[in-house]
Amino acid sequence: MSGIFQFLSAHFHILHITFWPLLVGGIANGFIYSLIAIGYTMVYGVLRLINFAHSEIFMAGGFASYFLLHALIGHSTPSTGGSILFMALGMLSGGLCGMLVAVILERVAYRPLRRRNAPKLAYLISAIGASYFMFNLAGKEFGRYNLSMAQPFVNHSLFTIFGAPVQMYYIVIVAISAAMLFLLDRIVATTKLGRGIRAVAQDAETASLMGVNIDQTIVVTFMLGGFFGGLAGFLFGMSSGVVYTMGFTPALKAFTAAVLGGIGNVRGAMIGGLLLGIVESFSIAFVNGAFIDVVAFAILVLVLLVRPTGILGEQLGRSA
Amino acid sequence: MKLRLNKTVAAVATSALLLVGVPAFSAASASGAAAKPTFVIGYQGPLTGGNAQLGLNMVYGVQLAVNNANKLNTLPFKLKVAKYDDQGSGTIAPAQAQAAIANKNLVAVVGPAFSTATRNSEVYYSVASVATVSPSATNPLLTLNKPDNNFFRMVFGDDVQGAADAKFLKDKGLTKLQIVDDGSFYGSGLAAVVEKYSRASGATVDTNTLPATSNCGGTASTTQYAGAASAAVAANYTGIFYGGYYCDLGLFLGALASAGYHGAVMSGDGSEDPALITGTTPASAANGVYISAGGGGAGGNLSGKLATQYKALSGFAASTALYASQAYDATNIIIEALKKTWKTRGGLHSLRLATVLQIHKTNWKGITGKVRFNNDGSLVGSSKGAINFFQVVSGAITQVGHS
Repeated sequence: MSGIFQFLSAHFHILHITFWPLLVGGIANGFIYSLIAIGYTMVYGVLRLINFAHSEIFMAGGFASYFLLHALIGHSTPSTGGSILFMALGMLSGGLCGMLVAVILERVAYRPLRRRNAPKLAYLISAIGASYFMFNLAGKEFGRYNLSMAQPFVNHSLFTIFGAPVQMYYIVIVAISAAMLFLLDRIVATTKLGRGIRAVAQDAETASLMGVNIDQTIVVTFMLGGFFGGLAGFLFGMSSGVVYTMGFTPALKAFTAAVLGGIGNVRGAMIGGLLLGIVESFSIAFVNGAFIDVVAFAILVLVLLVRPTGILGEQLGRSA
Repeated sequence: MKLRLNKTVAAVATSALLLVGVPAFSAASASGAAAKPTFVIGYQGPLTGGNAQLGLNMVYGVQLAVNNANKLNTLPFKLKVAKYDDQGSGTIAPAQAQAAIANKNLVAVVGPAFSTATRNSEVYYSVASVATVSPSATNPLLTLNKPDNNFFRMVFGDDVQGAADAKFLKDKGLTKLQIVDDGSFYGSGLAAVVEKYSRASGATVDTNTLPATSNCGGTASTTQYAGAASAAVAANYTGIFYGGYYCDLGLFLGALASAGYHGAVMSGDGSEDPALITGTTPASAANGVYISAGGGGAGGNLSGKLATQYKALSGFAASTALYASQAYDATNIIIEALKKTWKTRGGLHSLRLATVLQIHKTNWKGITGKVRFNNDGSLVGSSKGAINFFQVVSGAITQVGHS
């Protein structure tokens, strides 16, 4: 019994000191999950399809920005102006490459099936096949080593919250992700494009009768999801490096986040990602590091037992 | 009738010849009596995947030894290398081991390279009596209580390395330690030894397990390192020991640097690879890290002409190729044994078994020094000076001492 108390007090002690750094780190990772989760949730919204190849869109984005920044920066340390420029280039290259891969994926792996009214299971297999094809191709072409990304800025602690240092890297991730997610939320909520996406998600047939171009809407949905996935690949790669298998676990987590928030629901994906990031971050300090995924997925199951449709429920059509 | 009798006699004689096995071994070339038989030496280790570099270091050592043996032309047989890529993974290893065993010309294997892969492969190799001579698998349990082992290793086990590492940490004055492992058979084995000796010498020790991530051939999230690093900074450790491989260590080092950790970091031979530096973000986060490795360290024993041949074969320098020299010696030990056993009758299994027994008698002066094996397959000799210590200085792994 005293052993249990000792264990708890020791771990709570650690938690007490590390609460703020863990929270900050968790929020930053959560935002990355949110960015990836957008791609899952939006595609699910319009196609009722889990795009399991989304992990490779994430990876492609990571590689595109890796190659660009490697060529531009190399081992030098950019000036402040340079940092902003390289960040922008990294985001753009990652996002655009993710977008391109997503569009190709839609054309090659999904549209032919849609034309033939294939069962949903066929999409799933096509998605898994495309995923394996892409990451193995990347492994063959780019090598199978973890490659360290050239750093657009020097990561140092900017300020402290309750004594916990907050790193530049986290600030950058949170600022970029929050801005991007806000922008997306506005696009979906207020623009004609967003209305089209919501209409197709709610009832594709009726939407087409009302003059919405379904093919175009689906492509645009893939493009948006792809951009965010590729961008996340860049942000993730800045700290973890890029390698052909880099998409596997983050994408699985992001998919979890999308389900947690309510699959098909854009705001749900954002909240799910954040929640998952924070929970994970705390579980590492609270229990052994090996339990990080056990805790994360146990919470997922618990949430789904209480709310089978996720925190915000499946409601892309009505959201915002 | 006479004719028929002759035919029968001829048939019986032919069958008898086949049964007794004049062609001593099925590998004997069918192209004619004068042609030499061909035997295969396998290599099992990671040739792809996040930790492939260590495996590539070794496989070129094997190829070099085989090329040189074939070139001499004094051998009564020809040799070939077959590669079995287990990616260093315990899950893929059994299939590769079975593929090696199924190779009808394969006599013995250099490898497996990694400890987990070795443990899971030995289940099959031991039954098939295939000698496995590993340049690098160091988990103590692989040879503990294994009489007449078919598994041999060219380096001391992690009991020797771990004890030396604990002493190194103590000598550096690091007494508040966190000992982290990657949950692998190798990593947790080494970490446990370091933990045991560190506690014995009076250090305060916390432990943690951070499994291999999806960037490095595992499935865990790389995000685990940020949380672990924050916790390590908060706990104010003066030293962290990492039992695992370079790819994940690189990610951990990046996280430790961002979290503002200023203590020392040390790791074992699984991290002794230049890819540690290229895989760490930012690369400067690898500076200062201590690394230990057994048996000749960074393959510096492949020198002179051998080093040139190695470079020509592999495309990278022998001086940084950890375990290349052990792989070279392991191959030569197998070739030496095969010189004595290649005529063994009774088929493939007999030949393999005879080779295992012959390797037990090894007394070979190789480029890594004198090599003899204990009955459990461990290396004979004084472990004093067996472990070299390195430090990453300005992006290069530099030797700083030895045990």
